[in-house]
Amino acid sequence: MAPIVRVKELTKRYGGLVAVNDVSFDVEPNEILSVIGPNGAGKSTIFKLISSFVKPTHGEVTFKGEVISGLAPHTVARKGVVRTFQETTIFKGLTARDSVIVAHHLRSRASLIGFYLGTALARREEAEFGRSSDAILEFLGLGEVKNEIASNLPQGHLRALGIAIGLAANPQVLLLDEPFAGMNHDETNRAVEMVRAVRDRGVTLMLVEHDMAAVMKISDRIVVINFGVKIAEGTPAEIQRNDKVIEAYLGVEDETIGL
Amino acid sequence: MEQIVANGLYLGAQYALIALGLTLIFALMNVLNFAHGQMYVLGGFVTYEIYGLLHWPFVVALIASALTLAVLGALIERFLFRTVIRRSEREESTMLLAAGVAYFFDAAILLLFGEKQRGVRKIVMGVFSWDNLILPWDRIVVACLAALFIVAFILMMQFTKPGRAMRALAQDRVAAQLMGVPVEFYSLLGFALGAMLAGLAGGLLVTITGVNSGIGGPISIKAFMMVMIGGAGVVGGAIAGGFILGMLESVGLSVLHAYGDITYLVIFAALLVFLAIRPNGLMGKPWG
Amino acid sequence: MTIARVAAAAAFVLLVLVAIPLAIAAAHRTDLYYTLSSVALLSIASGGVWLTFYIGRINIGQGAYALIGGYVSAVLVTTYGWSFWLSLPIAGLFCALASVVVGLPILRLRGVYFAMVTLVLTEVARLMALALAVTKGAKGITSIPAPGAISLFGLTLLPAFDTFAERNLAFYMLSTVMMILCFAALYRLVNSRLGQLFAALRQNEELASSMGLNVPALRVLAYAISSFFGGIGGAIFVAIAQSIYPSSFTVNDSVNFMLNCFLGGLGYVFGPMLGTLVLYFGWDLLFQTGEYQLLIYSGVLILLILMLPNGLFSLRLPSRRGSQ
Repeated sequence: MAPIVRVKELTKRYGGLVAVNDVSFDVEPNEILSVIGPNGAGKSTIFKLISSFVKPTHGEVTFKGEVISGLAPHTVARKGVVRTFQETTIFKGLTARDSVIVAHHLRSRASLIGFYLGTALARREEAEFGRSSDAILEFLGLGEVKNEIASNLPQGHLRALGIAIGLAANPQVLLLDEPFAGMNHDETNRAVEMVRAVRDRGVTLMLVEHDMAAVMKISDRIVVINFGVKIAEGTPAEIQRNDKVIEAYLGVEDETIGL
Repeated sequence: MEQIVANGLYLGAQYALIALGLTLIFALMNVLNFAHGQMYVLGGFVTYEIYGLLHWPFVVALIASALTLAVLGALIERFLFRTVIRRSEREESTMLLAAGVAYFFDAAILLLFGEKQRGVRKIVMGVFSWDNLILPWDRIVVACLAALFIVAFILMMQFTKPGRAMRALAQDRVAAQLMGVPVEFYSLLGFALGAMLAGLAGGLLVTITGVNSGIGGPISIKAFMMVMIGGAGVVGGAIAGGFILGMLESVGLSVLHAYGDITYLVIFAALLVFLAIRPNGLMGKPWG
Repeated sequence: MTIARVAAAAAFVLLVLVAIPLAIAAAHRTDLYYTLSSVALLSIASGGVWLTFYIGRINIGQGAYALIGGYVSAVLVTTYGWSFWLSLPIAGLFCALASVVVGLPILRLRGVYFAMVTLVLTEVARLMALALAVTKGAKGITSIPAPGAISLFGLTLLPAFDTFAERNLAFYMLSTVMMILCFAALYRLVNSRLGQLFAALRQNEELASSMGLNVPALRVLAYAISSFFGGIGGAIFVAIAQSIYPSSFTVNDSVNFMLNCFLGGLGYVFGPMLGTLVLYFGWDLLFQTGEYQLLIYSGVLILLILMLPNGLFSLRLPSRRGSQ
């Protein structure tokens, strides 16, 4: 099967600084691909480039054969590539449930005026989105807290909420930016299960992560970035044996590389 | 032609002084000091009272203007802004407070000094001519003084401990706190300094254009425009903005004179277009 | 809407449209009609500003749209002989369209930058009013007739304002009915899907974008609606004052609209109404203090801000979900 996302010679320069340098890789449909690398390696920038929050200096990103780099971010989301964020305060002032309902917007066919006036279609959709949101929240273990204001939720729930929002947007490709950050062992395991369950729904997943144990456990394939350059690509087993990867991480003391 | 440039230059120097104070306050506290123009006016009136009415030396009057505004600025920051910043949920509340302070200043100035246009005698008589250039000496002196203050300010910000502390604060408040910088003290100092610069500008300019109680608002708007052009929160931006506006005014007043009072309309329209292309001004840091 | 809220709304409408006129008639204070009409139309403009706050922008340029809307109505009525009632929505629409042109480039700006640009807008509008021929420059447009009758199929639904015994009462009804309609529309907006999208957008524009919300379009939409309200307010002002000058709406007014929103409380859709009422009446009441009017006014304003930085409405219990 053809790759669902292709990253081709992606380069991003900020003035004199090259954040991403000629990176290329493919993403297969329905796989879980993780992008790892030391801090500041350019991983988040790659995600920003893929979801088109940032325009590449050179190179392109295609989704199902169509070039998406350079389009407006919301257009890319509409096409099916959705990104969740590193900062966990998402929609701070909205309840969990409302946040997820809003994320259904992409599936809405009623016009905004229809929603304003309360047409039958609009009301049906509202009810449907409500049900769908409840289901997603249950699925991710947030059923109890769905009416809490997002900023009141603890870290673990916030991450789950981030995933919930991403799911609600009904993506074909979901980019998760550090979904396991700040989690303890149990929470991470639960989150890994969640990510697997999302994949089982047919979604292709890309992760940027630092938690090596989780990455090795969950990924089908891994891409390693250092100083903006791709230094390795392969299965978890291959990456763990890769000399360049070991060398890149050796200087960093508090990274566990799961060997 | 050279006359226009010369006019633009000395207008620019004075405007830059005003813009500097505004941008400093903005950089340190993310507050748009609506009352900046009124502070300028107050500075002008203090100098008028001391130099114009009491006939004390000009230098004394300038110092008085500077001190008055510095003290007022400190009081306003300590008792008004600090309270609101602490207690408010939304950061726009400080803008509300600034608007209230601006009105208050307007009212107080009107009551204290009346509504008449006031001027003082020139600080230096005579005119310097060169070719077809006519430069009144007093304008040259004022422009030089303004430039001097600007340089002193930059040096202070760059090389002194308080200056470095304030720059750290402007860059990243939390990081500065973690490094042990007493942020509350320096916010106070910064605001006082910003106000002082406005007062100084007022004291300088009263000797040339005079002052009246109604120009506070228009001066504030001009200051905002300078900061918009040059970019908020950056010293270089304020200076650039000041000089650019000075030049634009000078050019506009001579060239567009024939078409009536549309100089500012043209400047505004150009500004809107400019901002569409470069929203953060020439050198500004993006908001938020 | 719950029964409680419907009842509250009905009570408010009755108060404004029935109780107050009766009280005024009884107390023989018909001068208050003009004051309250002003409060009503200014609160409409302030309501527009409130909506821009709702998407996270500080709008200090509403005076420009009030001025433009006023002039559009004035020109249509005097130069082209249109009925006021027709000119009213046109004034609003014209402002909405103008604001799209202005908003597209500037809505990318945030915070203080956006505020500063909008501050400039009011001045631009004033200078244009002075310069353009159609607005008749500094002389302004005067002797604007009061709103005429509304007739449909020969039936007079509303008599011409000139025929009213108490014209100020007619103006009062006009402005308060419009105020009620506008705020009802605003309330409905905020509680609808569109309102949710706006709220999401204010919380986190990037996340909203990544979820497929067309953030630039939504921002412009909010700004257009806001400016529509500004235009409507201006047109009603012209109907009442029956004249308009370039100085009819200044930077001060723009600042005041913003103040009205703040004082009422930015989290509450009816905040602008309360804020306008308090600030306007406050100003009027202080008239008796003569030259100290502005001083006391601003002093009290500062005190209010110090004590209630989140607005007057924050004195209530925490807001209901709908109005955040």
